[in-house]
Amino acid sequence: MNDAQDAPPPAAPPPLPAAPDWQPLPPRGALLYALGAAAALAVPLGLGLGLAGATLLDLPRLPAIAGAALLGLALGAAVGLLRHRRIGWKLDADGFATRRGGLWRTETLVPVSRVQHLDLERGPLERRLGLATLVVHTAGTRLAAVRLPLLALADAEALRAHLARQVEADDAL
Amino acid sequence: MNAAADIPAPPADRRLHPWSWLFVLLQQLRQFVVPLLVLLFAGRRNGPGEFADWAPLLGVVVLVAVAVLQYFTYRYRVGADGISIRSGLLQRTQREIPFARIHNVALHQSLLHRLFGVAEVRLESAGGQKPEAQMRVLGLADALALERQVRTRGTAAADAPGSPAQAADGEVLLALSTAEVVRLGLVSNRGMIVLAAAFGVVWQAFPERAAADWLQRLFREAMGYAGQLHLGWVGTVAAALALLALFVALLRLLSVALALVQYHGFRLSGGRGRLTVERGLFARSRTSVASRRIQAWHLQETALHRLFGRRSLRIDTATGGREDDPRRLRELAPIATPAACDALAGGLLPAAQWPPAQWRALPPGCGWRLFAGSVPWNLLVTGLLCWHFGGWGLLALLWLPWSAYAAWRQARYLAYAVDARLVAVRGGWWSRWWRFAEIDKLQGLRLQRSPLDRWLGTASLWLDTAGAGAMSPPLRIRFLPEAEARDLYHRLGRALAARRLRW
Repeated sequence: MNDAQDAPPPAAPPPLPAAPDWQPLPPRGALLYALGAAAALAVPLGLGLGLAGATLLDLPRLPAIAGAALLGLALGAAVGLLRHRRIGWKLDADGFATRRGGLWRTETLVPVSRVQHLDLERGPLERRLGLATLVVHTAGTRLAAVRLPLLALADAEALRAHLARQVEADDAL
Repeated sequence: MNAAADIPAPPADRRLHPWSWLFVLLQQLRQFVVPLLVLLFAGRRNGPGEFADWAPLLGVVVLVAVAVLQYFTYRYRVGADGISIRSGLLQRTQREIPFARIHNVALHQSLLHRLFGVAEVRLESAGGQKPEAQMRVLGLADALALERQVRTRGTAAADAPGSPAQAADGEVLLALSTAEVVRLGLVSNRGMIVLAAAFGVVWQAFPERAAADWLQRLFREAMGYAGQLHLGWVGTVAAALALLALFVALLRLLSVALALVQYHGFRLSGGRGRLTVERGLFARSRTSVASRRIQAWHLQETALHRLFGRRSLRIDTATGGREDDPRRLRELAPIATPAACDALAGGLLPAAQWPPAQWRALPPGCGWRLFAGSVPWNLLVTGLLCWHFGGWGLLALLWLPWSAYAAWRQARYLAYAVDARLVAVRGGWWSRWWRFAEIDKLQGLRLQRSPLDRWLGTASLWLDTAGAGAMSPPLRIRFLPEAEARDLYHRLGRALAARRLRW
């Protein structure tokens, strides 16, 4: 474990990319994202499809579940890789926007004036890869927390600094 | 108690009502009744353990001590710009609540509270599951005075110019007569909910099968009785229908009774930017909220509402807590004529225009989309029925024409309206709804496109507001042509970025 040797955060946040266009996530997080997606799909697919297949087709139960889970892993990883490539973020005069999804696409906009507070989360694996998850909290209901995972740490800190400055500038309450 | 750290207190340090320990104790007993009972019975069963016999008593004594201590350690002070509350003996907390942050003041009086002439006061700010402060209990006069202070100072703090305080609640905006409350009971399904809950409790409380066995026996006896009567086919159907009618009538009666208990003497009054609702037959509650704190609106008209020529108007506030909490101010008009609802909303949204001058309908193709959404479910149900009953299951397909008709009717009513101040969506057919919010109150936007959307070149636009309940339809514009959706998304985004959030 060499977590302690993490690069110290830069004193002043680096300037944000000037072009108001969609920024992709760094490709080094793709595998991590795919792993997460694979695990998320393997369990329900393994149990659901495996059990259903075992009962309907009269297969031995354990191999059926294992096979379905493997299928889920492969499918999940493929979908995860695709989805990771589609995730993007954008910061412009309107606010902070994220987009995600390959088949079901969503684009979410949190206007700068509606940001309540910000979190930067870093799990052990994310720390290893120099990545971070930015969580933008709003007062809304369905969009109460807009998460952007696997951002480059420098970008995440710059975003946080920029959005936090906005929050301070117009403390609405 | 070492009072060394105490701040020199101004003379206005106040305590709760002397009886407050009793109500704290009752509240705690309600929370601990299950563990206490378990202790009592489990102790008995385990043999003559002496500790187990008096453990519940010990528990009650501890609770009484805690309640009395809380009374002696809880103090509050109404300052120039906020309320400060000190509480706790070992772990002391001091809490400062600025008037400007208090979104809602709720007074609640149960029957027992009314007997003692006291009330429970809750001060709520935005968000969070717990109220900012809960005063259990204050004398009624003190509680009303506190509410008045919050109202006058809160609005004075928020709306800069300090105008003279107004003691009264302002003019009455809506008062429900008993006939109206009865109508409300007839329209609502409260009885059904209570019955379902009671059924669930019975099912849980009795040992497995007991409730089911009892129901089966009842059913069989009823069938036997009917068989003895030799009613014949027509007679049996008629008897069953009569029973059903009796059941429905009883449910409605229960609903009416519940509505009378909850909404008797409903009065909505407003003045100086603050709304106050008072209601209740036995337990009275009085909640007030600043009208600028209203986050979104929900107007509803079910088929039953239409039968009586009524609608109901609800609001979302940003205060936390459970959605079904009876103390939340959610209903501005539980039941009122459409004109009264519109006048109420229009009066409280003076800058915006309600109802909107022009609704923009959605493209005519969206009826098919609504219909297509219901088809897979229908096929699934049909498949299951066929698997179970054979060919007769195909009868479920007869539902398809009906759902196509319903989708067509719904699509004709689906529309939205956006102007400089207000965004509104409406929908439904049998049961119609309108959902609207000021643009200033929007918190986030989301543009969503399913594969079908991308194929047909449409998109849905979600508009998020604070405190939206799960029971009200989302503020969402579906089936918009993509260019229109993107244009709206960018326009609203720009408008929001330029405007400060006003709670």
